Amino acid sequence: MNPALAGVALAVAVGALVAGSARNARTAILGLVVTMVAAPVLADPLPGSLGLAARLVAAILAGYLLWVATRGPRLRTGGSLVGWPTDAFLAAAAAVVGYGSHGLGAPAAGPALASAAGFALAALAIVPIVTGRDVLRVGLGLGLLISGALLVRTGVGGTPDALEELLTAGLVATLGGTVAILALTARTDGRADFEMTAALPRLSSHATDRLPPGPR
Amino acid sequence: MSLVLFVVVTMAFTGLALGLRARPRLATGIALIGLVTAIVVAVAIVPGQLTVVGGGALATSAYLRLFLIFGSVIGLALAVSGLAGGSRRDAPTVTLGILASVGLTLGLLDPRAAVLVATAGGLFGVLVTLVPNGGRAGATIGIRESRAVAVAGALAIAATAWFGRDLSGLTAQPVVFGLAYLGFAVAVALRFGAIPFHLWAARLADVVPETALPNLTAYAPASHALGALAWIDLSVAPIAQDLGPDRLVVIAIAVASIVLAAVAAFVQDDIEHILGYSIIGDAGVVILALAAIGPDTWGPTRTWILAFVIARSAFAAWVAGVRAGFWTGRVADLRGWALRSPLLTVAFGLVVVASVGFPGLAAFDARTEIVQGALTGPLTPVVLVATLAPIAYYGRLLVIGFLRPDRVLEPVDAWRPVVKPLDLTAVRPWLSTTWDANRAFSTGAIALVLAVMALATAGGAFGGPAAAAEGPPVLASPHPLGAPSASSAPVAPGAPATSGAPPSETAVPQPSAEPSGTSSTNPSADPTETPFVAPSATPAGPTASGSIATPTPVPSVGQ
Repeated sequence: MNPALAGVALAVAVGALVAGSARNARTAILGLVVTMVAAPVLADPLPGSLGLAARLVAAILAGYLLWVATRGPRLRTGGSLVGWPTDAFLAAAAAVVGYGSHGLGAPAAGPALASAAGFALAALAIVPIVTGRDVLRVGLGLGLLISGALLVRTGVGGTPDALEELLTAGLVATLGGTVAILALTARTDGRADFEMTAALPRLSSHATDRLPPGPR
Repeated sequence: MSLVLFVVVTMAFTGLALGLRARPRLATGIALIGLVTAIVVAVAIVPGQLTVVGGGALATSAYLRLFLIFGSVIGLALAVSGLAGGSRRDAPTVTLGILASVGLTLGLLDPRAAVLVATAGGLFGVLVTLVPNGGRAGATIGIRESRAVAVAGALAIAATAWFGRDLSGLTAQPVVFGLAYLGFAVAVALRFGAIPFHLWAARLADVVPETALPNLTAYAPASHALGALAWIDLSVAPIAQDLGPDRLVVIAIAVASIVLAAVAAFVQDDIEHILGYSIIGDAGVVILALAAIGPDTWGPTRTWILAFVIARSAFAAWVAGVRAGFWTGRVADLRGWALRSPLLTVAFGLVVVASVGFPGLAAFDARTEIVQGALTGPLTPVVLVATLAPIAYYGRLLVIGFLRPDRVLEPVDAWRPVVKPLDLTAVRPWLSTTWDANRAFSTGAIALVLAVMALATAGGAFGGPAAAAEGPPVLASPHPLGAPSASSAPVAPGAPATSGAPPSETAVPQPSAEPSGTSSTNPSADPTETPFVAPSATPAGPTASGSIATPTPVPSVGQ
């Protein structure tokens, strides 16, 4: 086992753990950024410089947009319902499964640690995605899930080529931007949280920006 | 290169319109210009081109060209209809962004890269859910849509990654084969909002303008489905044999969507939800096609997707026309709509014929072939009849349309063009007055144009069925199953295959218009070269020359 890769895998998992369990919104975002920055490095061989740079820029951009969306004093998100130790055990168990089943039935082209980290991230993403009741927490879960899937892809299929890395960067940035704008929009009513609402907008103009002019 | 131009142009206009979002009029104008430009560059796409860039490759085909032309035309028509009848300021921009993502998704030869773009495109569409004065509710629906898109994306990434490597070392077929297939099929179902994954899609109809709905729930997911179809035919079908339980799940989702979506559309109170469920019902046929693993349904499925997307867009334009003209979307309040608006009545009739069809119509025959290809036994006629269920909700709308109006709906001349004499001293006010006076007429006319287009496409016009029958372009691969290799640069004739190589372009032979099982000289066409021998199967494989090849047909599993 490559110790450097093991260290990166650990950073990915710890970042994901923080993202999934922290109640402070910005701490959780920081955890996600660590995960997204470290994930592309968890490959053997490393991606080309162009692809790697694109991934890093996309991860930081996504994190920055989320950071902007959480401006305000002590904004909180849902955090883990079961506590971070339970999440940590869950992630560890998933990582063991991922490591043990590396290749998923066929010879793999990437490192087993990528599969392990990918499984851990996917496991950590399930709870926020399924039970999340605020926009940011669900968004963080989606970030973890996509990062996990990309790691599994690297573990199974090997290091992506430059074009795929660029497209991955586009996906990461789009996801970050989408969650950021949704989180920002959720707060436009003045409340300092990201809670979802069961009430649907019943606009007289239906789904339009404003009422169209009446018949003449 | 022509596809790269399309992608660059649409992305540039998307970025420009997004940058000017704070100035809605300007952003909308830029987006409309972008949509017009998109039509031009889509028409200019040359089928059969291959562009190698950054270790990946983009290929064009007649079908891709047709799909992008239709998408651009529909996008422009619905954007104008939305402007006349009321829409969201981001809708045209989102349409442009989705066009760019669809172009890339269909053009990319590596399915692992294509699913990334398809997912990003779906996430970009969430922008339309941002409701003015209803931020939290819009954000709630938006994050639910994002959840569906991202989960679908994650499933598709994992599924394509599993197959996208050298599988020659396999000695036994693991259960993961079926799970990967099921994962991608479920991903497509999630993107369409198929039953039972439909809750987010149903809510979407509450906040998204009717003119933007087909883009989010039909056009963009259709590109995902086309990618899944190609992936299944090229990667799954040649090697996987025992997909019985997995196929059953896919069939169950498809049949539930076809039947229950029609029931749901029938009982809805407002036309936006009818539109939403009608899209889900038609998407059920697409999902059913994913269960018909084999070459027989390849052409019909792509024909159906083309016809379904256009027919549902035309239906959306009709809904927008009704809302613009009658100021309501409640079905109970629409008594007499057909008597009041001949324009919308004709458009409605054409939409019904295009989407339900009759024997001899290309879309109808394609749907029949899909059902017969995916199902066997007594379920086949039952599902065939179920695909005609939309007649029920169309009939309900028509009956209400011919009832005596119970209120004054609008002046009779609202459905005719109203043009006052041009006042050269005040052109701008004249334009504004004319636009306002013709809002109902404009939306109705656009609905009529799209309905004619839908009927023509359903009838096989524009070369749709021929383009749909073309096999997917595949690059030569050093791996025996023809799947994209891990970390390997695709090889195009005369192009360097190193990562980061400058884009190079090579004209490649057009894939043949029909399955080439008998004429293939593919060295790996011998089924004994695959780890899992399918009797009489001729799996797709690499060509000796490293050029785009037409996949060879594979018999449907379980048929």
